[in-house]
Amino acid sequence: MSTKRTLGASARMVAIAAAGALTLTACAQGGGNDESPSGPTTLKMVVWGGDVDKATYQERVDLFEASQDAITIDLQLIPGDQYEQKVQTMIAGGDGPDILEVAEGVNVYSSKNQIIPLDDLIASAGLDLEERFGPVGTLYSYQDSVYAIPDRSGAMIVYYNKDLFDAAGVEYPSADWSWEDAHSAMEALTVPGEQWGYAGAGWWPQWWSLAYQNGGQIIDDEGRPAVDSPEVVEALQWANDLAYVDHVVPTPAEYADMGPDMGGDPAFAAQKVAMNTTGFWAISGLLEVDFNWDIAPMWGGEQQAVSAFGSGLAISRDSESPEQAFQAIDFLTDAEAQAVIIKNAQDVPANLEVQQSEAFLSPEWTTREVNMGAFGESAAFVFTAPLVPEWNEMQAAFDDNLGTFWNEGGDAAAQLAIIQTQLESIIQPAS
Amino acid sequence: MTQVLGEAVGAVRAEVPRRTRGRGTPRRKLTKRGRSEARFFWLFISPWLIGFVGFLLGPMIASIYLSLTEWDSFTPAKFVGLDNYVHALTQDPIFWKALTNTFYYALVSVPLGLAVGVWLANLLNKKVRGRKLFRTMIYLPTLVPLVATAMVFKMVLAPSGPLNDLLGVLGINGPDWLLDPTWVKPALIVLSAWGAGGATVLLLSAMNSIPREFYEAAEIDGAGPIRQFWSITFPQITPIIFFNLIMGLIGAFQIFSQVYILTSGGPDNASMTMVPLLFREAFSFYHFGYASAIAWLLFVVITGFTAIAFRTSRKWVFYETKVR
Repeated sequence: MSTKRTLGASARMVAIAAAGALTLTACAQGGGNDESPSGPTTLKMVVWGGDVDKATYQERVDLFEASQDAITIDLQLIPGDQYEQKVQTMIAGGDGPDILEVAEGVNVYSSKNQIIPLDDLIASAGLDLEERFGPVGTLYSYQDSVYAIPDRSGAMIVYYNKDLFDAAGVEYPSADWSWEDAHSAMEALTVPGEQWGYAGAGWWPQWWSLAYQNGGQIIDDEGRPAVDSPEVVEALQWANDLAYVDHVVPTPAEYADMGPDMGGDPAFAAQKVAMNTTGFWAISGLLEVDFNWDIAPMWGGEQQAVSAFGSGLAISRDSESPEQAFQAIDFLTDAEAQAVIIKNAQDVPANLEVQQSEAFLSPEWTTREVNMGAFGESAAFVFTAPLVPEWNEMQAAFDDNLGTFWNEGGDAAAQLAIIQTQLESIIQPAS
Repeated sequence: MTQVLGEAVGAVRAEVPRRTRGRGTPRRKLTKRGRSEARFFWLFISPWLIGFVGFLLGPMIASIYLSLTEWDSFTPAKFVGLDNYVHALTQDPIFWKALTNTFYYALVSVPLGLAVGVWLANLLNKKVRGRKLFRTMIYLPTLVPLVATAMVFKMVLAPSGPLNDLLGVLGINGPDWLLDPTWVKPALIVLSAWGAGGATVLLLSAMNSIPREFYEAAEIDGAGPIRQFWSITFPQITPIIFFNLIMGLIGAFQIFSQVYILTSGGPDNASMTMVPLLFREAFSFYHFGYASAIAWLLFVVITGFTAIAFRTSRKWVFYETKVR
């Protein structure tokens, strides 16, 4: 009898506790708002960046919240250098954000099922990625599934110093240039020991663009490394010879003599180099300089190809409301919210409609004429970067074996053969 | 350090309670006051103890287990036995390169740092004008944050930077330091010598505590300054040199920030050392198991070197309290 009663009492207690837990969960999900029985869903969204990024994302989130009542977003900004570790820890701890910003590392998450495939959500929302984003629409894919929606995406572009070009009597760069055209321009723009024609192509987006222009690939269509192909070898050798054979690009030693952490962007601003290939971000630093400059799409080789910088938005497997999260992403990557990105001079919005809009082509903040159409023009020939899950290891294999090559000159074929062997052991081809 | 302290404490203990213990008295029950003291002991030590067990010992044990698994931090860890250790020791050329680099760095920078430290301390111990100013100047560099120092060194070590200009005056054609695989490790060692001021201060205070009489007696016996240094100063400061040696070795084997900021291990891994390597394996490549294995291998190396230092210390470290 007494045992029975105790059991009954315990059962009641358990029931109460469980009910309490349920209430708590409900509260957590409901975001503490009990106006309506369902209440708005609160999503956690994490992005990286600085002050401009925070303001811009927040402004876009505010637009989304104003557009509907059912979903609110709690935006968290994490400094870029801690982002990967922080998100990794959140996910590992079972507390992953609903929406996360991803870039080249996207397939670290997708290959381990930490973010969810979006194909069904895309289909049911009737979203046409090709139409909205062009070739980068399916950039963040893994094994034929899309895992992130492009959010920011700007092609690498050529910055050129108009004054130096005029002084040397050289035509301004254009997408029609061949390697030979680029090369002869660099030669004409070089003053030995003082000024160089081009900032160099030692960074992966730069020399990979040349490799793809030359018909090469870093990872082939079957998912196997292909860096020792003659096309890639020729492109890499060309890039390096610009510094060590032709002396139209500063060597790392010459850069080091210009100051600490000197590279193409500051060297261009200091008028040390006449051309520089980099992303959108350099524009804001150049608005106040006292020389004339403009931007143009990257030149081409056998074919046109250029890399793009950007990021996408993905949904983590921990998200309890993936539909709502997708609804938010859909809104954030649509024209209205994307226009904020360019209004704040944060980056290039991935949405093509915005890239071609007047707000983008002549932004309010420009103090001078800038050929913003270069981004839209480049979008047509952006190559699909090989975003393998082993992205960081792949980059390390390049860095580990090209250090001396870039620093002292060398034989591209020999280094790429070593890298090819390493990549073959690092990268497991997607089945 | 614990052992150095332990020895010092041990020396004191050895002198005092030996009488009572010597008679073979069994351990007496604690008095009331003793009990309350013990309670306070546990109370006051508990913050450290909880921190140590929870945040150090726990993770350490966990990392032993992790080193036997393959774990990317997302999916469940897979037990692989000693595979990580075997891979590091037999198949990973970068591991051996990093280990060699770390040895190179530790075995050159630590003795160099000590030699510079002793030399500076000896100079600063002389009665010269502006001595206090010099002491401050020598110690100042160790107070500058490492990131700032590294930035300055990037400029100093530039191919046409001040250091190479100086070498040029002497007719030496300086190398490209950070860009050259042969010279990047010496460059890091130059940076480590920059921080010799920390050791200098300790050595200086040790020199100050040497009784004057020793020198007076030596002078009467006709010993010159060099003889005085090697027969009095040096033996008297050996405990401090020993302390700096152990701390320096541990620090040098764990070098991270300098490499991370100045070179990220490049060019071609010529400056890759153990801790940047394990950091890269864990947080960039998501190989937490392998990184843990590297960490434990590093632990073995450090323990080995510390043990060697302690073994040989009996031959050259002089403790006055132990003179019989």
